[in-house]
Amino acid sequence: MTIRVTFWSYFADLAGCAETSVTLPERATVGLLLESLYRSHPALADLRRSTLIAVGVEYQDADHVLADGDSVSLFPPVQGG
Amino acid sequence: MTRSLSITVDPIAEPALVSGRTLSPGMGAAVSFAGVVRGLEGSDPITALEYSCFVPMAEHQFHLLFDRLAERGTVESVRLVHRIGRVAVGEASLWVEVVSPHRAEAFQACQWLIDEMKRVVPIWKKPLRD
Repeated sequence: MTIRVTFWSYFADLAGCAETSVTLPERATVGLLLESLYRSHPALADLRRSTLIAVGVEYQDADHVLADGDSVSLFPPVQGG
Repeated sequence: MTRSLSITVDPIAEPALVSGRTLSPGMGAAVSFAGVVRGLEGSDPITALEYSCFVPMAEHQFHLLFDRLAERGTVESVRLVHRIGRVAVGEASLWVEVVSPHRAEAFQACQWLIDEMKRVVPIWKKPLRD
C-alpha cells in the first residue's frame, strides 16, 4: 500500500522535501513507516524523540495501523500563539 | 456553547471583535487575550514572525479543545483568531475571548485553551530579521 507523508515546518528542510510517498506492506504500522523514513531521511532520525505524528488530522502513535491511501504528517513540537 | 474560529492571514481587528461581543443576561465575565509578536527572540532582535499551519488539522484540534470547554458547562462562548503568514513585531498573532458567568472560570478557561493550543494545534513560527 502507498502512504503519503507530509513534513511540516523545519522538518521539510531536514527531509529535503515537503512530501513523499512510501510503499509499505498491508496493515503496516506508523512505527514501520518511521523506520522506512529514517532510513531514507536520516536527518529526521535525530529528532525522533520530539517528533509528532498525525494520520489525517488525528495524532497517532507508533502502534497505529495504517490503511492504503492514508496521509501521514510528521512535525516538530507546535508553537502557536 | 457558541464558538468562532478563524485562522487567517489578515490582521486581527481587535476593536471590531470586541464590538461584536454578545453576552446573555446571565454572563458577568468576558476575558480576552491578545498575543503580540515581541521584538526579541531570546536576546536577538527580530522584525516579524512567519507562522505556518497545517490548517485542516489545526481547525480540527481547535474544535476538539472547544468541545472540552463546552463539556465544562460554564462557558457561554469562545472566539479565537490565529493569524498565520508574516506577522510584524507589535502586531497580534492570537486573539482569544471566553465569556462565562464569573471571572474565575473565564480566566481559567482562557488560560487552559491557550496552554492546550500550544501543546496540540499544529502551528509553527519562524523568526524573521529582514
